[in-house]
Amino acid sequence: MPPVIRIDELTKDYKVGFWRSRPYRALDRLSLEIAEGEVFGFLGPNGAGKTTTLKLLMQLIFPTRGGAEILGRPLGDVQARQRIGFLPENPSFYDYLTAEELLNYFGQLFGYAPAERGRRVAALLDRVGIGAERRLQLRKFSKGMIQRVGIAQALLNDPEVIFLDEPMSGLDPLGRRDVRNLILELRDQGRTVFFSSHILADAEALCSRVAVVANGRLAAAGRLSEILAFQVRGWDLVMDTIRPDVLERVRPVVRRATEISAGRYSLEVPLEQPPDRLLAELVAEGATLVSLTPIRDTLEDFFVRRVAEAGAGARAEEAARARD
Amino acid sequence: MHAIRSVAVNVFKESVRDRVPYNLVLFAVLLISSSYLLGQLTAGQDVKIVKDLGLSATAVFGLFIAVFIGIGLVSKEVERRSIYPLLAKPVSRPQFIAGKYAGLVLTLAVNVAVMTIALYVVLGYMSWMEPAAVRASWDAPGPDPRLLKAIALIFLELMLVTAIALFFSTFSGPLLSAALTLGLYIVGQFNADLKNFDRVVNSKTAIWLARGAYHVLPDLSAFDVKTQVVHGLPVSSGYMLATTGYAAVYIAALLLGAVAIFSRRDFK
Amino acid sequence: MTATARHAALVAAACAALGAAVALQLARDRWYPRSDIQAAEILYVRSPAAMQRLALDHDSLLADVYWIRAVQYYGGNRLAPQLRKHHYELLYPMLDITTSLDPHFNIAYRFGAIFLSEEYPGGPGRSDQAIALLRKGLAARPDKWQYYLDAGFVNYFHLHDYRAAADWFSRGARLPNAPNWMPPLAAATLAKGNDRASSRFLWRQLLDSDQAWLRNAATRALQQLDALDQMDRLEEIVRRYPPPMGQPHSWIGLIRRGVLAGLPVDPTRTPYDIDPETGRVALSPSSSLNPMPFDTARQAR
Repeated sequence: MPPVIRIDELTKDYKVGFWRSRPYRALDRLSLEIAEGEVFGFLGPNGAGKTTTLKLLMQLIFPTRGGAEILGRPLGDVQARQRIGFLPENPSFYDYLTAEELLNYFGQLFGYAPAERGRRVAALLDRVGIGAERRLQLRKFSKGMIQRVGIAQALLNDPEVIFLDEPMSGLDPLGRRDVRNLILELRDQGRTVFFSSHILADAEALCSRVAVVANGRLAAAGRLSEILAFQVRGWDLVMDTIRPDVLERVRPVVRRATEISAGRYSLEVPLEQPPDRLLAELVAEGATLVSLTPIRDTLEDFFVRRVAEAGAGARAEEAARARD
Repeated sequence: MHAIRSVAVNVFKESVRDRVPYNLVLFAVLLISSSYLLGQLTAGQDVKIVKDLGLSATAVFGLFIAVFIGIGLVSKEVERRSIYPLLAKPVSRPQFIAGKYAGLVLTLAVNVAVMTIALYVVLGYMSWMEPAAVRASWDAPGPDPRLLKAIALIFLELMLVTAIALFFSTFSGPLLSAALTLGLYIVGQFNADLKNFDRVVNSKTAIWLARGAYHVLPDLSAFDVKTQVVHGLPVSSGYMLATTGYAAVYIAALLLGAVAIFSRRDFK
Repeated sequence: MTATARHAALVAAACAALGAAVALQLARDRWYPRSDIQAAEILYVRSPAAMQRLALDHDSLLADVYWIRAVQYYGGNRLAPQLRKHHYELLYPMLDITTSLDPHFNIAYRFGAIFLSEEYPGGPGRSDQAIALLRKGLAARPDKWQYYLDAGFVNYFHLHDYRAAADWFSRGARLPNAPNWMPPLAAATLAKGNDRASSRFLWRQLLDSDQAWLRNAATRALQQLDALDQMDRLEEIVRRYPPPMGQPHSWIGLIRRGVLAGLPVDPTRTPYDIDPETGRVALSPSSSLNPMPFDTARQAR
């Protein structure tokens, strides 16, 4: 089965400076393939090249080198957009239109007849949870509501492939949950979702595969559990009402114990030591469980390390070029 | 085609919601109050002056709409990033430009039409109030159908100015676009002077440059037949046709240029 | 203070400040009167060509503005109180700019010529400028026989150059659209010079003008012509019925002898004067028909 999205050596240089412009490489030879029905997480810290990639795929900017295919069509094929949905990062719409009018406008662009348009618009606004406010001008909308309108417009044409740039940003916890559920729904309908995020937890909850970019380059790709950097390094166990003598007894088996408040401690448990035995022991001594979370690198930790490596790599490359 | 139409209708909607129609109220107040006041001041020239005023106001109000909405047509969408979701829809960039242009032309057409009706109503009323002997002394009748020729050329000029504004709007911000458009508008009015530059200057190069500029820059003074029409002098169909053709070709050049620039533009 | 009250106070304060500005301006105008003539006296741009450039493509409208200014300037100076000097220096430049901005501004040439040729203090008495303005009009609209008529008029009544007047009339008469009374007018003017019949003929053309004040001027001129005829007839009567020896000429004497039925009055119902020694009849100084036009026939006597 051919991939739904095929990105091939995609490269983008920006010119920086007004008079003596020197190129700045925002994206460097990115290659990726995404299969049908995948929920693909495109991860990286801010400024890594995620938005540049999405803009290239949407033809908002043009590649310096390389190319891509979506649904077997090359970039720039207007007809392919009939089957694609896109939510830009921090979307912005015509603030003089109401939510309903905006979706109607976009529906016209897809060529839907008025009745069909009305049906789709009403259904989508219901789906993203915009009720009577749909008759208000968008200038009165909060950031979170705009994000919901953005998601609705991305799904207006029942797209086979959906590109979402930071879909969770600007949303409250309730909104984030809604978006997660929506993405899972789309996956269950067999659609392909390509979304970018700088928050690892989002990807963990949703994605079959991820790619991590840093400094415009692909740093890692594959299943999240297979990427070494993101594997669990230990556990963070938070317990309440731990008696001091009990604390002293468990101290040798934990890596670190930090007092949060009187009797409440955060215990860092190494990976080799399964936390369930320690938990059982503490509960037997009258302590109560507050939370248990796995400890792993954040994207930022990962990024900092990659920058150091990439910096070294680039310096080596430059030195090699200088020698030639 | 439906894409162009949808974009155009949206531009029209925006201009209406941005309170552009208020200028029509101002226009009506200006015409009615001046037609009332002028009778006292002008030794019987009030109908001519109301015609002059009506035509000039149509041109000036239209110019403001064409320039100040025109310069924002594209740049505002890029600045606000509302173009991102739009261009991910099945709309090509040339269609987007064509739709934006058509939308503002539609706004101007409605505007000019309403102003024309208002002008004719005021002129009709003034004419009806005067005795037949006075009417007989006028160069041209009050509600003169020939005024439509002047209005048609004003509208063509506005279409051309809109195309200029849109062209600049595809690659520069609103402030620079406004300055460039208004600058070109003024140069366009003086354009005919460049033709006779050789009477003022001796340098061969300067004359060639002036000649070149005369042919390349828009000749906006050609669209002004207000004086002739107000005095009931003939404006030939040939002239109307040639000027319309000129406008059409010049607008086409500007829109093609706008599409050429815009189609390769990165939205950073 | 509640928010509503504070808002109301703000609005009230703004209105009060605006009211104060109006009051202060009124007071200042009373303390330091501004001469209204000064404002009209500034001709912002003197060159018609420069004005044309500045107008962009609104020259027609700007011509209207200058026309209104010219009318106001002329009217304002004409009606200026006696103690102030009448002056009309800017009249021609204003009309020149008006007609340069709008070369087809018919009324500006015609009225402009009349304004300019009017004798001081009713006007600047610049017949030369009036003719120059009409020549400019003819350059723009060579088909306008009215301009030839007006130029002849200025020559006839103000310059008393009947040959030139006849020349203008006959040139106008040659235009295809000229009215049929133009050729006889030219002929009469050439043949008789200043004769009342041709004057009357000329003025009658203006009697059905669309302009009320021009109609009034024509009516007045025709009354003056009537008065001239009446004075001639009265002098004829005075000559035929001289008073008894040693007695002065008087209307009373003529009435007593039954020659006249009553006091002879001019068309404005003011009695004529009679010179007791020579018997010469004249308009009463209180008559509104003064000053009378130049008349060769009476001047000769």
